[in-house]
Amino acid sequence: MKNNQFITLGIESSCDETSASIVAEGRNALSNIIASQIKVHQVFGGVVPEIASRHHLDNINTVIDSALKEADVTLNEVDLIGVTHGPGLVGALLIGLATAKAMAYARKKPLVGVHHIQGHISANYLEHKDLKPPFLALVVSGGHTNIVDVEGYNQYRILGRTRDDAAGEAFDKVARVLGLGYPGGPLIDEAAKKGNPHAVEFKRVYLEKDSLDFSFSGIKTGVLNYLNTQKLKGETISVEDTAASFQLAVMEVIVNKTIMAAVNLKKDKIVMAGGVAANSLLRGMLKEACDKKGIGLYHPSPILCTDNAAMIACAAYYKYQAGIVDDFYLDAYPNLAL
Amino acid sequence: MNILAIETTGALASVALIDEAGQVSMETSDQKMNHLQHLMPMVDQILSKRGLEINDLTYIAVSEGPGSFTGIRIGVSSARALAQALGLETIGVPTLKSFLYHVPEYKGVVCPIFDARRNQVYGGAYQWSDSKIKEVVAGDAYDLNGFLELLGQAFEPGGAGQTLPAQTVPGAAEPKAGEVTFFGDGIIPYREQIEAWQRASSNNNIRVLFAADDVRLQKASSIARLALELCRSGTLKSLYDLKPVYMRKAEAERKLEGK
Repeated sequence: MKNNQFITLGIESSCDETSASIVAEGRNALSNIIASQIKVHQVFGGVVPEIASRHHLDNINTVIDSALKEADVTLNEVDLIGVTHGPGLVGALLIGLATAKAMAYARKKPLVGVHHIQGHISANYLEHKDLKPPFLALVVSGGHTNIVDVEGYNQYRILGRTRDDAAGEAFDKVARVLGLGYPGGPLIDEAAKKGNPHAVEFKRVYLEKDSLDFSFSGIKTGVLNYLNTQKLKGETISVEDTAASFQLAVMEVIVNKTIMAAVNLKKDKIVMAGGVAANSLLRGMLKEACDKKGIGLYHPSPILCTDNAAMIACAAYYKYQAGIVDDFYLDAYPNLAL
Repeated sequence: MNILAIETTGALASVALIDEAGQVSMETSDQKMNHLQHLMPMVDQILSKRGLEINDLTYIAVSEGPGSFTGIRIGVSSARALAQALGLETIGVPTLKSFLYHVPEYKGVVCPIFDARRNQVYGGAYQWSDSKIKEVVAGDAYDLNGFLELLGQAFEPGGAGQTLPAQTVPGAAEPKAGEVTFFGDGIIPYREQIEAWQRASSNNNIRVLFAADDVRLQKASSIARLALELCRSGTLKSLYDLKPVYMRKAEAERKLEGK
């Protein structure tokens, strides 16, 4: 406790960001330190698990020190330690977990393992102080594409998920073939602003009628085929037009399915989460669609859309409030279900 | 003084406690490759068996590698976090060298090899000399044949492996010139190759032994004993300087450099 406020230390290391955060009363991020490895992995064109794990280990203790220092909180004042225990890269997850477990054990603090997606959704609680469940959540990131019915702080029901690539994964792959680099999300978003989104009509994949699931591997192949055909014809390719057309095809499906779910379940709030929630087109399209239906739209600021530990601390706080505590056998689950 | 020693670089994890008198106790997990899950509960068990509290620890020692990359990281990150939470200094213990403590007062050369696949090993060779550790072959990642060649050279006249200890401990077996005992999980895939190497005429002065099952692999008790020696010689590290000793770059990095 500090100034009569409940203090949570959050730790996140599921992919390529090492992060630690101090959150007061579950909602107020006093610090949120993120050591990104984007530059490290850029040369490989994607996250290399072994290298990510090595960097997490190098960085984690100083990241925790900085989080405590910036929040002006001592380890003594920490009431709870929350840590991502899945899903993610197992070698990466275990750095945060081993660290959290050892610290919690040594200082006799309660320990709570947090599902990464629950963390992403919880980022909105940090941003929007009055937001409360129930609502519909759209989680889109490099590793996840989910439509989730959030019935309570700890009640989640996945309504739709990707059957192959995550949306962010498709962005990375298309960015690579367009020669835009890594990570693909922000680069395609940027290039698309200068392109014509109707230049190429890529197929929108809706799967079965009423399905809330996604499939993005087809559109990735569609882009590849288009580029090859153009090349064979000797036509010049507009990277901007291709990026814009690809992006619109992906986002249209995501927006339509999300709105369909919200309408069917009579949800008056949609909450965006995950790295792709920072995409400007997705935000704009969803806002327009929500306005038409009278649905409130919430999203975190860009920094809280990326992987960060404040969202993990927030989610841990609500689990702990509900009486959920883990023991020191807590393990890493690369395919943890929500 | 109480040093906690953590060993997670091999298939089985273990933890040990050692005091200033050198009294050691050890807990070993029976769970293969589940170090993350079982490490802290093992620390809890060993402390309560010794009637100690976590705050009674003086230093945190860890087997720093080589070994399983993931295993090394579980040990090192746990050790760093314990040190961070308790405000303690750490001791990074070279995993290969710790095998010298597996068989007390052994006069021959101790040669741990860990299987790094594709005929590669992490290996080293060590020997007691005047109560000091003598490095016969430096610990590193080797092609098995290259490693054995270095080991053979050490036994040639004037080589490092042939010098016998000046002091013999009363009651200890007479030192045998050119005796090497292999340890580590590398024994299993490479035993025949090692025996063939020994039979080669140039190496017929070397007697090769293979460690018994119960002392074959990494043990936290040996990590603790070497940690106590390192502590006595003042080899302490801040947790920020405690680094894994992988001895090998990540495969993606090697590929990139090979391009």
